[in-house]
Amino acid sequence: MSYVEPSVERRSLRLFKEKAQGEAPAWLTVINSLFYVVVMLAIIAFGYYLYTFQRDQGLLTLYLPFLLQGAEVTIVVSLISMVLATIFGFIGALARLSHFAPIRWIATIYVEVVRGTPILVQLLLWYYGVGYVLSSIGFDPFSIAFQAMTALQSNSLVPDQFNGYFYGIIGLSFNYGAYLTEVFRTRIESVNKGQTEAALSLGLNSRQTMRRIVLPQAIRNTIPPFTNYFITLIQDSALLAVLSVIELDHQTFALALPQTDANVKFFVFVLGALLYLVMCYPLSLVARFLESRFARAY
Amino acid sequence: MDLIQQALPAFLAGVRDTIFYCISAFPLALLFGLILALMSSSRIIWLRGPARIFIEIVRSTPIIVQLFILYYGIGALLLQFRLETLDNSWTAGIAVLALNYAAYESEVFRAGFLSVERGQTEAALSLGLTSWQNFFRIILPQAVPLMIPPFVNDFIYMLKDSAIVSVIAGTELTSVLNTWVTHHGSNPIPLYTLAIVLYLLLSLPTSYIARFFERRLRAAL
Repeated sequence: MSYVEPSVERRSLRLFKEKAQGEAPAWLTVINSLFYVVVMLAIIAFGYYLYTFQRDQGLLTLYLPFLLQGAEVTIVVSLISMVLATIFGFIGALARLSHFAPIRWIATIYVEVVRGTPILVQLLLWYYGVGYVLSSIGFDPFSIAFQAMTALQSNSLVPDQFNGYFYGIIGLSFNYGAYLTEVFRTRIESVNKGQTEAALSLGLNSRQTMRRIVLPQAIRNTIPPFTNYFITLIQDSALLAVLSVIELDHQTFALALPQTDANVKFFVFVLGALLYLVMCYPLSLVARFLESRFARAY
Repeated sequence: MDLIQQALPAFLAGVRDTIFYCISAFPLALLFGLILALMSSSRIIWLRGPARIFIEIVRSTPIIVQLFILYYGIGALLLQFRLETLDNSWTAGIAVLALNYAAYESEVFRAGFLSVERGQTEAALSLGLTSWQNFFRIILPQAVPLMIPPFVNDFIYMLKDSAIVSVIAGTELTSVLNTWVTHHGSNPIPLYTLAIVLYLLLSLPTSYIARFFERRLRAAL
């Protein structure tokens, strides 16, 4: 959400290293290295905590497959939404840079309205509002998908909550499309104006200039923020639980809530959060790596 | 139109609660974020390590999962000590918003402090100020104006993120919307439109004020 300038980030790292290598007294070094021992012990203790639950009640073998199923749905939903959001964002960015004013206004309204309202309300609007209106005029994504898959003789692949998936994915990608619109627009605008002028004076038409000159340079710069938005999208896909899509958050909740033992309840929630951490933390490391790579290039 | 007129008082009460969630959670987030920022730029790893671990964990788990852990998980643990009344939707909601945003604000604070030139610190220290004085008299006054625009942005995000409190039966705008939609399921679109307009009325003016301040700051620097 808050975007920290990569250069600031790097400078901070350098300052830390300078400080660390500088006049660190011996007692500080000893105490600091003790910290890693304690962290290792804490990780071992957490592993033992998981293991005791496993040994005493078999909870891990009981619940982990369900949670992994949920994680699978989360990943699939996030990937599809991200692809659609990229398309929305791309169209939106081109519309915001259009020379035809009404198209520009529509794109601006889209961005402002979507960015000014909570994603939860948007998802509810898509599922209960738009879904209700469309079903009253006879459009039901579930039955359409069911019929299509029946024709392919594999209708068991269509989940019961297909409408939740359908409107959830549309809602997520519509929301992230607005954010990506702004990312793409700023990056396209940040390509030096001289490049466009040079291309036009060399006799390329404006479409060729966009496709051959501006976009290749702009897309390069969008990759780091794109990764960041992908991480937040994985997290926001947890909101699809309110549309009764059985993803990781819904699965965790459904397994934890009936538990009467408080420790077991807490354990299941922690396990769910741990799976999100396993999905998102490597990605954020990748994002940081890409940021430093792209800051260095040129 | 009739439905909107009927619904408006309840929705406005929801707006009041949304604002209340945010103005109680945001100062807490700022305070906690400042502590985290100071901890994470400390030389002693016993302060830096826990702060970094907290920030990374909070930033890579969804806020709704954190909400469930704080409301249902901690609530279940508190039940053993007969303290479950402490864990209602107000405390859990405000705590989650404050803790989650503290992780983001701490990064804003850190970037703000680092953007004050190092020469200023060196000059202050060589003039004989203590590092405490240097921080409060030299760095903080210069860093705060730079940090205001990101803070306002995060406040707008919080106005929107407070909607998730509705999943633990908080009483803010989205949960009012949900109850009205379940009672008037045949005609939900006007209710959604009303809620979206109210959210826009909250967030758009704030973002324009933020942009205005940003422009003035750019001009001043």
